[in-house]
Amino acid sequence: MNELVPTHEIGPTSLAEPIWKIRWKLTKRSLRQNWEIFKESRIGILGIILIIAFGIFGAMWPVMINTVWDPMVYDPVVGFDPMIMHPSPPSASHLLGTDPIGRDILAQLMYSTGREFLLGVLSALITVVIGTAVGTAAAYYGGFIDTFFMRIADIILLFPFIPLLVVVGAMVKLSFLPFAIIMGVLGGFGGITIILKAQALSVSVRPYIDAARVAGGSDFHIIVSHIIPNVLPLSFLYMMFSVTSAILSEATLSFFGVLNIDMSWGMMIHTADVAGYLFDFAKYWWLWAPAGLAITLFCAAFYMVGRGLDEVVNPRLRKR
Amino acid sequence: MDTLLRLEDLTMHYKTKAGWVQAIDGVSFSLDRGQSLGLVGESGCGKTSIAMSIMRLLPYNAELVKGRILMDGHDLYALSDEEVRQLRWKEVAMIFQAAMNSLNPVYSVGNQIIEAIVTHEPETSEEEARDRAESLFELVGIPKERMDHYPHEYSGGMKQRAVIAMALACNPRLIIADEPTTALDVIVQDKILREIEDIRRKINMSMIYISHDVSVIAEVSDIVGVMYAGKLLELGPCCDVFKRPKNPYTYSLMRAYPSILGEKHDLATIPGEPPNLLDPPSGCRFHPRCDWATKECREVEPPWREIAEGHYLACHNPIKTQQVKSCMQQETAKGGEGIGASFGN
Amino acid sequence: MRRYVVGRLGQVILTLLIYITLVYFLLQAMPGDITMMYLSNPKIPQAAREELRTQLGLDQSLFMQYISYMKNFFKGELGVSFSQYPKPVWDILMERLPRTFVLFLTANVLSFYIGFVLGKVIAWRRGKAIDYAATVVGITFWTAFYPLLALVVIWIFAYNLKWLPLNQFIDPRLWSTAPFTANQVFGNMVYGAAIVGVGIFCIFYYLLRGLKPSRRSHVQAWSLTAALIAVALVFAQRKGILIYIWDITRHMILPVLTLTLINFAGTMLLMRDSMLETVQEDYVMAARAKGLPDRVVRDRYAARTALLPTVTSLVLSLASSMSGGMVTETMFSWPGLGQILFTAALSNDYPLATGALAFTGIFLLIAHFVADILYAVLDPRITYTGQSGV
Repeated sequence: MNELVPTHEIGPTSLAEPIWKIRWKLTKRSLRQNWEIFKESRIGILGIILIIAFGIFGAMWPVMINTVWDPMVYDPVVGFDPMIMHPSPPSASHLLGTDPIGRDILAQLMYSTGREFLLGVLSALITVVIGTAVGTAAAYYGGFIDTFFMRIADIILLFPFIPLLVVVGAMVKLSFLPFAIIMGVLGGFGGITIILKAQALSVSVRPYIDAARVAGGSDFHIIVSHIIPNVLPLSFLYMMFSVTSAILSEATLSFFGVLNIDMSWGMMIHTADVAGYLFDFAKYWWLWAPAGLAITLFCAAFYMVGRGLDEVVNPRLRKR
Repeated sequence: MDTLLRLEDLTMHYKTKAGWVQAIDGVSFSLDRGQSLGLVGESGCGKTSIAMSIMRLLPYNAELVKGRILMDGHDLYALSDEEVRQLRWKEVAMIFQAAMNSLNPVYSVGNQIIEAIVTHEPETSEEEARDRAESLFELVGIPKERMDHYPHEYSGGMKQRAVIAMALACNPRLIIADEPTTALDVIVQDKILREIEDIRRKINMSMIYISHDVSVIAEVSDIVGVMYAGKLLELGPCCDVFKRPKNPYTYSLMRAYPSILGEKHDLATIPGEPPNLLDPPSGCRFHPRCDWATKECREVEPPWREIAEGHYLACHNPIKTQQVKSCMQQETAKGGEGIGASFGN
Repeated sequence: MRRYVVGRLGQVILTLLIYITLVYFLLQAMPGDITMMYLSNPKIPQAAREELRTQLGLDQSLFMQYISYMKNFFKGELGVSFSQYPKPVWDILMERLPRTFVLFLTANVLSFYIGFVLGKVIAWRRGKAIDYAATVVGITFWTAFYPLLALVVIWIFAYNLKWLPLNQFIDPRLWSTAPFTANQVFGNMVYGAAIVGVGIFCIFYYLLRGLKPSRRSHVQAWSLTAALIAVALVFAQRKGILIYIWDITRHMILPVLTLTLINFAGTMLLMRDSMLETVQEDYVMAARAKGLPDRVVRDRYAARTALLPTVTSLVLSLASSMSGGMVTETMFSWPGLGQILFTAALSNDYPLATGALAFTGIFLLIAHFVADILYAVLDPRITYTGQSGV
């Protein structure tokens, strides 16, 4: 189903060049081709623009706190503005207002952006690394390894993530890093394995894998340099979707107050909720709207990039 | 005989990112009732595009640049979408290139035939349609018990027959068969072609065969059109065209096919590749690959002219008869019977 | 068919065992001695504690404890809730399961149907404005922050427009004088709806089968349906529960709406992609050539086959839909499985949390099982031996 642009087809080469140089050239070429296709997808481009915007927004945090903002007032966790009543609506000194404990909303939003990136990318990276390794191994070796990991994936697919994490989180307050790792690991052994295994399977029956085997390549060599490069585009695609699900889970769990995270977009809404300000929804809009919008846009951005990549990876979706 | 279908200077282009692909360029021919026309040419020369133009099933990026398609004297492209929809299958049916894939996998085969009947003949009840579908199954040689089976339960040959039965469902006056037998093995292929021909004669239907296989076309066509790069190069009665090919391309195409019964000869490949239709060659489109090409061929587009009764040609240097003697002998030995038979009516 | 179902059922039971085992050990591994919960829980009287200790069988090894838990689990004895002492966990769960079931089923069927129809339409109009608009809106809902979406829905419909009740399951003022309990009415409501549903299905199945149902059978089908619903309503009125059914229904609308908004986009986007693949199939072109009306080509050819992969991914997304359901229940104070799971987790009610988690799993397993069977029915190529035909 997925005809990828192969990254490792041996093209016409001269032996004078070292092999890595040739590979690099081929990779560069296929990247450029894929970019051309990606550009066609307006949704994907919109996603990229949003991600870049969030990146800039997040990068502004250290700049602001070191230059313009007074850390005493603008610290996202312990800051407090003694000059006004809280929560205060947006004003010149607090562009997005302050929360019930007197902290600046904009500062919280900026500070959280970087952490959300870290959380999303870290857990998605773990997911994809595990998923690719396990999926490829299951496809290449088959037999017991295959059955074992596929059954695990079936069971994990059955797990209602959020309820489970709520129960676990309520008992041991998960902090940032363990949470990212748990999300990553659960994701990695879950549905993504099945998808990546199917892809790896379709690669591992291609003639050049046999050719590599006949030429005396070790299993490790074949997996690493022939199968994985062809599974990677799909892994990358699912990485985008993993970011979305990690961030959404974090926000939901933070909102319910079962995570031990000092500040995040979900926490911001949680703070407003426990202080009772969400009952007067429209009046205290600055308490939930920026964070809620940030969560949705951030997740949508990664999801859109994923959809754009889908058209690259899966040519049958392309417009003919 | 009265004319059923007439193409007049049909020119159709596809819009792509790289530019306009000149898929069909100035194709004209006419087909009488009960006559069969064979279109032959390499892949990508525009044969299927012609079929799709007649069905008015072109993709969204296709544009009819000029020309007309007349069915019974009515311009197909002047009709509304709804009128064309009602015309399809009732007047013009089609046997698709990949019969394997032209049946819906989730409905039974019989169901798909009945559907065609009740769509076009609203007064027919489902039971009557079912009876008719059963007799169609018998006609094409499938046991009628298999009506309620799903496509995946059929063999390749049976699917092909079912697709033929489906094409006959509404008694169309013209059937376009696009590579009807390419996916089948030679024996089944031959059998099915003969069956189609029998049915066609029985009900005096017109037929357009599309194939890259010269031998298939020679066997079943009354008149033959040879296409190259979106242009018709030669058109005439089957016997004339294949016995005395005037266009060098027709000759090369015939030389490229082996003949089992005839003398052995080295298969002659045609050097080079079909041109890029984004930017076709000037003059005659075949000139870069033609042994006989002259300066005139490179610069002036050869006109479409009638050289004998019903025999049309677009070439500056038609080949003389003696040049193709050897080829002709082989053709006679191999397919003479078929050509003669089909030319007879 | 029977072998297929039995085989799947075996797998389901095996998976269930593994799942409950995992849940059990996961909660065992949580920090804090379970007896401390009892000791420090003021809701449990002093006298009951010693008895509970022996009941818990803490002198036995972990493995033996696990074995006895499993034994009891299948006998329906899940222990006693801490937070609602001395109510047995089983009773609490049994009370709540139907509510979650109804919410989950209604919302999922609705969102699947809406997603299917929208996906079909936008794929058919690929590249048009409606395609982009629906895709962007769909992605926004799909990636929306569920709790916030629930709040927005409550704010618009309950707080601002005052069309619908704020939250909860029933209106206490109305029910204080009611001769029935909410559970009785709810049970009757579910049975009634099930009977009416099966009736409607039968009517449509028998009257509208075939390729070309006549106009008359359409009229017949719709009038019979209307009659059936009217009969059911009159029956409820005679029994005096119609007003209470209406109250429960009113309370259901907002949670169902929220859950549908969360879920429909997933189906829609998948259906769109799946259909973009099937419209390129030869049989869709053949159907056009056959002169079938555009709608028939779209619905019976392109969409019908595109439905299959969409159902597959519906199966895969059931768990995440359950997560969304739990958030929704909590936000709307809908007293279902998800809400009790959340409350139990926050109040460290281990037996209830384990039980609720286990039942969520069972619930999902059954949903998986049903969806699997549904898939096999939809795809004639599946030969019920687990392999697809050639």
